[in-house]
Amino acid sequence: MKTRVILFLLLAAVAVSAAFLLFGNQNPRTPVARITRDGVLLEEIDLDKVDVPRSFVLEDESGSNTVAVEKGRIRVSKADCPDQICANQGWISDGAVPIICLPHKLMIEIVGGGGELDGGAG
Amino acid sequence: MAGPVKGAGRITRLALLTAIALTIFLAEAQIPALTAVPGVKLGLANIVTVYVMFAMGPGDALLVLSARVFLGAVFSGQMMTLLYSAAGGLLSWCVLCLLGRLLTKEQIWLASPVAAIFHNLGQLLAAAAVLRSWSVLAWLPYLVIAAVLAGLFTGMAAQALLRRLERIQK
Repeated sequence: MKTRVILFLLLAAVAVSAAFLLFGNQNPRTPVARITRDGVLLEEIDLDKVDVPRSFVLEDESGSNTVAVEKGRIRVSKADCPDQICANQGWISDGAVPIICLPHKLMIEIVGGGGELDGGAG
Repeated sequence: MAGPVKGAGRITRLALLTAIALTIFLAEAQIPALTAVPGVKLGLANIVTVYVMFAMGPGDALLVLSARVFLGAVFSGQMMTLLYSAAGGLLSWCVLCLLGRLLTKEQIWLASPVAAIFHNLGQLLAAAAVLRSWSVLAWLPYLVIAAVLAGLFTGMAAQALLRRLERIQK
């Protein structure tokens, strides 16, 4: 009995998660990359308006990350942290998951243009 | 189980179990990441945590867990992971305590996936606190699925371990 309840709850948790991954993907029509450190906005880039690929270095006392942008996408191309999670993640182009560099408290997320949530999107 | 172990016997056993957990933890850390999702791993060291929880009790489990988490961060040279491991470990320990009262000895394998979900949730909450943003929770669906799979595996391993060690100690 207890076994069944717990198994059911686990299955439900997996199902809800899978549904989120499959259907929860928002694709903002005008993707804007928002780069924050420690919750403070560092930079906001309208990814559709990036015609020439470029990269720049974000640095503070905890270390540095090199961020590369191209039309419609963004990534961390180099980081001096030991885990390299942010660099290994590669390009992101939608709002599914943000790029996070925990050691440097840096986060890159993609949001819809003109605000936190693009109400009209989708 | 041959009754509660006390005194030097208990200390020795806890030290041994901590050493085993730490060895497993560091060996697993050498395996390259399976996916691009940060934090996804088997968590084999938790076999020991679950074993201690059910064979020796919550207090001893917390001792082994915290010693392993702290020494694991020291030996792997990544002290900054300590905060996340500690948050995840503490939350999953609380859940394991609850489940320990609820479940019978034959259902121990079920405790692990539930605890694993809460471990990952705790880690994400710590990350959210560090980054001062809830956006990290976007990783939660990935981590829940990974936790259930990895948790079932380590849970079954812990169940088998308990069964066999019980036979030896009789």
